[in-house]
Amino acid sequence: MQLLKEKHIAYVKSLDSHTDDYEYWLSEHLRLNGVYWGLTVLCILGSPETFDKDDVIAFVMSCWDDKYGGFAPFPRHDSHLLSTLSGLQILATLGGLDNVKKDQLKLSQCLKFISSNQLEDGSFQGDRFGEVDARFSYNALSCLSILGELTPEVVDPAVNFVLRCYNFDGGFGLSPGAESHASMAFTCLGALKITGKLHLLSPEQIDMIGWWLCERQLPEGGLNGRPSKLPDVCYSWWVLSSLAIIGKLEWIDYEKLTQFILSCQDEKRGGISDRPNNEADVFHTVFGVAGLSLLGYKDLVPVDPTYCMPYSITATFQKYGLY
Amino acid sequence: MHGVKRRQWTKDQLKQKKEKDRMKIDVYSSLVNSTLDRRDKNDHSLTALEDTTKLLDMNPEFNTMWNYRRDIIAKLKTELPLQFWDKELKFIMVQLKKFPKVYWIWNHRIWVLNNYPGSPASVWERELDIVSALLEVDARNFHGWHYRRMVVGKLENITGKSMDAGELAYASKKINNNISNFSAWHQRVQLIDRMFANGEIEDRKEFMEKEINYLTNAMFTDAEDQSVWFYINWFVNYPLVQSILGKEQYIRFLESMTTNILMINDDDIEFSGSDNSWCLKILLVIEQRQKELSPGFESHSVQYLEKLVVMDPLRKNRYLHLLSKQ
Ligand SMILES: [Zn+2]
Repeated sequence: MQLLKEKHIAYVKSLDSHTDDYEYWLSEHLRLNGVYWGLTVLCILGSPETFDKDDVIAFVMSCWDDKYGGFAPFPRHDSHLLSTLSGLQILATLGGLDNVKKDQLKLSQCLKFISSNQLEDGSFQGDRFGEVDARFSYNALSCLSILGELTPEVVDPAVNFVLRCYNFDGGFGLSPGAESHASMAFTCLGALKITGKLHLLSPEQIDMIGWWLCERQLPEGGLNGRPSKLPDVCYSWWVLSSLAIIGKLEWIDYEKLTQFILSCQDEKRGGISDRPNNEADVFHTVFGVAGLSLLGYKDLVPVDPTYCMPYSITATFQKYGLY
Repeated sequence: MHGVKRRQWTKDQLKQKKEKDRMKIDVYSSLVNSTLDRRDKNDHSLTALEDTTKLLDMNPEFNTMWNYRRDIIAKLKTELPLQFWDKELKFIMVQLKKFPKVYWIWNHRIWVLNNYPGSPASVWERELDIVSALLEVDARNFHGWHYRRMVVGKLENITGKSMDAGELAYASKKINNNISNFSAWHQRVQLIDRMFANGEIEDRKEFMEKEINYLTNAMFTDAEDQSVWFYINWFVNYPLVQSILGKEQYIRFLESMTTNILMINDDDIEFSGSDNSWCLKILLVIEQRQKELSPGFESHSVQYLEKLVVMDPLRKNRYLHLLSKQ
């Protein structure tokens, strides 16, 4: 099976026309993330102009949270680190970062929103209500690197916390003591990569991480997120990007994974699903396409495993610490 | 979306859905707007609280609505009767049963418990029973285990007593129910490590010997599943095993592990005609320790790795990498 590029472009394009579906309204809390996922699909497929740039930037800015700073996932919603990263990723992709960087008030509000959510142990809460998760560490550090505002005051304790999420099996948990999960390998390794701190993991740890990650591949070619779980396109990305970050991408079978991702395409309507014959969504579409790009699938724009964005864009982000 | 079968809609079905959806959208979006208007006016009334109930019942993923709800509750805190808090916990449970994987709901539950008047131990004890019941339904629910650790941590804080021994018994029970429950194996590692660190184990040697029996039984029970093997990998490399058993006994432990694993592997060869890849992978780990401890140890690692390259081609580059280091 081939990658159905045109179908996927059309699928992403159609996403905003579902306003008569109840589900569309129920998913407002993910809208900005959805725009980032869709835009990144288009970028990797070499068709970024499919979205109207000015419209998208205007939408992102309409999600700005005046009260707390940062981006909400939708106008009138509350800001959160998850949606703040999506907002900045979209702006960076479309060349609209100055909307935040050159606006003194917004920039200082944004930085304050991020740093005020860092807790004493270096971890981050997603917003003022106290949920701690290594995902939010990644969000915060990625935001700051996009803005070029990483500082030792934030980075050092943050890295300390992320390292404590490392587990005996070579995986990472969402907090110290939590079970290893593929998505956390991505967020923790990504956080360490962004801050130039990967060397704080020993060669033995890196080997153990590689072992745990490559054991995620199942005979059908897809990758799971934890032992004894089903394969899934999104986990395939979390594992694959993690392997790429530690330079062990070849520890899994490319061909089999490629076939698994391709088999999850909706041949009629476009889009990629978690597993074959399931309902496609933009989340699995971006991670499927980004995975294929990492695997070297032909004619795709190269994707940066640390940011899940095209290299051409991330090249401009702040390089911090030792590389 | 996870695990939703792709469905082909007929034109008629689509039309019907859109008609139904139009009504639902009208009700939903006007309630969203009026509630956000209330929020913008700093309305912290019971009526506003009731509106968030209605909305969250329709859409428990609406994080901003949970936020508003918490702001209202925090403002009304001194006026709310005790029954309110139990009612709130019931409301959340209804949502959790429908959506056991939505982070926002778990997060709200912890917030409510933390803000429960007095936050007494009895409330957290009841919570521990609830999370046990949830883990009965889905023994590997990620959120459930994470939540359990938080509840236990809270109880330990309140009572000043470690619950590690009881939690270890719980993890054992979960493993005995299903040997592939890696969440429980994970928990086992956390607990054992902490119990040693905090001096909670009286007879350390006896404990280690029992643990060796336990993992040996587990290995014979299901040699196909990677959960027990990841645990064994940890245990073999856990520094305290050697320091507590002493070098001689530790070496004998490694030898008996080797004998047992080879026995399992031979059974597999007899049964299916090929080696068990996990047996070989863990033998490699054990040999690594043996090589470190006994100079002149006769290693079979190259032979194991060459077999693995052929029998586990998905990961052959890892084995080639390890071969290059032999
Ligand atoms: Zn998925």
